[in-house]
Amino acid sequence: MAHRIRWPRHFPPQGPDIPILETEGLSKRYGTVVALDNLTVQFDTGITGLVGANGAGKSTLVKLLLGLIDATEGSARVMGNDIVSDRAAIRSLVGYMPEHDCLLPDVSAAEFVTWLARVSGLPAAAARERAAEVLRHVGLFEERYRPMGGYSTGMAQRVKLAQALVHDPRLLILDEPTNGLDPAGRDEMLALIQRTGRDFGMSVIVSSHLLGELERICDAIVVLDEGRLLRADQLGAMTGVTMTLMVEVDGDPAPIATALVNAGYIVSRDRANVLVQLPDGSDETSMRATCDAIRDAAVNLDVGLLRLERRRGHLEDLFRTRA
Amino acid sequence: MTDDTAIHDLGYRRYEGAREGPRGAWIAIFSQGVRTMFGLGRTAKAKAAPVFVIVITFLQVIGALFAASVTQGNVPVRYGVVMQGSLLLYVLFIAAQAPEVMSRDQQHRILPLVLTRASSRQSYASARLASVIFSLFLLVFSCLMLLYLGEIGLAVDPAKRFGEVGNHIFPVIGLATLISLAFGGIGAGIAAWSPRRAFATASIIALFLLLAAVSNGLADLAGVASRPAEMLSPVEATRTLTMLLFDETNRGFETNPPMGVWWYVALLLGFAAVGALLLQLRLRRLDT
Repeated sequence: MAHRIRWPRHFPPQGPDIPILETEGLSKRYGTVVALDNLTVQFDTGITGLVGANGAGKSTLVKLLLGLIDATEGSARVMGNDIVSDRAAIRSLVGYMPEHDCLLPDVSAAEFVTWLARVSGLPAAAARERAAEVLRHVGLFEERYRPMGGYSTGMAQRVKLAQALVHDPRLLILDEPTNGLDPAGRDEMLALIQRTGRDFGMSVIVSSHLLGELERICDAIVVLDEGRLLRADQLGAMTGVTMTLMVEVDGDPAPIATALVNAGYIVSRDRANVLVQLPDGSDETSMRATCDAIRDAAVNLDVGLLRLERRRGHLEDLFRTRA
Repeated sequence: MTDDTAIHDLGYRRYEGAREGPRGAWIAIFSQGVRTMFGLGRTAKAKAAPVFVIVITFLQVIGALFAASVTQGNVPVRYGVVMQGSLLLYVLFIAAQAPEVMSRDQQHRILPLVLTRASSRQSYASARLASVIFSLFLLVFSCLMLLYLGEIGLAVDPAKRFGEVGNHIFPVIGLATLISLAFGGIGAGIAAWSPRRAFATASIIALFLLLAAVSNGLADLAGVASRPAEMLSPVEATRTLTMLLFDETNRGFETNPPMGVWWYVALLLGFAAVGALLLQLRLRRLDT
């Protein structure tokens, strides 16, 4: 169905009360394949990680938000703008950095970013000025006049980020921004994204399957799995202390694990560590009793106790639990 | 003491200036398309095809004018003869350059960047199509205009000559428009269907050759009257139309009179419409 696009004269009203994104029963089906299934979720301002394995529905959600594809069912609003009726407004508010390569090899970064600024509707002089400014912000200086075919992966990723920033959006959607980067390049890109989210006054949605990276930079996480919402929460709620004690011993952990199972505890293994579930929640008495039981088991088995601590949650746990 | 040479980082600055919206986006896509058609701002390799076509086309025009000049008008400027050679060069220009405009964005996957900005698919398609057509118009119009000016300027009595052929300006404009619409439209429409530039180039040349071969085949082998048969080939039809518009004739015209001008005009506009339709269909189905 074709929708008439109206270009806004001014940016639509926005404020801290308007979520950057909210979806209501959003679904997308390709024939019998369900890419996104009845997704109802809300993203608040800040840096939000969109997590999921390949095929989880991340890219489908991004394309729906950008108006590149139409939803089968449901609705969504980006900064209060409907993704069907207010597409033009959304496009003026959103900067998009795709996962795939999207640079012209025989064109310079300065020319490419200037052109995309003009395609965003900026006048020619302003487009040139903005392009120079954002390329400087992402760390490209004299190199910006060279054809992009000779750029390293890190430089190419920076250009992709610059083109997303050039029209001064309020929301950045970054699809796998660290793809193909070496560890140093990843660190630089993550720092750049963090700076964009914190200092540039923009909200950022980072789509990725690299959970460790998202833990480093995000305020909130939305986890998708097979097109469905698995969890959406503040990062702290997902990576805070858990109801599990982690025990590291000197030598084979099997005897102490067996001893704790015999004592009635729920025990599991995480590589060389023993994970002990706190029996009655996290109250002080339960905690102390469990620690005493572990200490006694170690003394009885004559094994050295190297570490005993409350385990912190990780994003991987969400998928591990699912598996 | 303050350090006067310190460079202060002003940090990120918001853009509060004007936004031109879809109109600005359309102009940006169109003007970049025109620059690409002529290889402007690109490598020397990208300029090779347009420069070759422009040089050869203008050499033909200059040759025709030179012949008219040295014979003091005894060998008149014949638009039909000049266009016979030039039409193939226009096909070459479109085949080489339209894919640069239409296929390159697909090959390098630029479309998701463009279509998430102030441009819709329809707007992108129309801007790209217009850039191909306008570039060809510039080339064809400048050749015809040079012939027109030369025809008048090189005459023994330019004022008298202007009185005789001054109204040729209308066919010059009309023919340039029709050629650019038909050849540019069909070239852009075909080029949009392949992200591979070489394949798109070969497809455009193959289509024009195939249509010419079918047209000649029908006339020579199947016994179809040559005038209806030539309506299958845009090159043949345009050559006949050129002669009709400039009141030129040859032996073929006497033995086998051409169809009415409007048939040829309708045919070329039909080719343009097919090209535009092909382009719209492709961009509607294109996965971003």
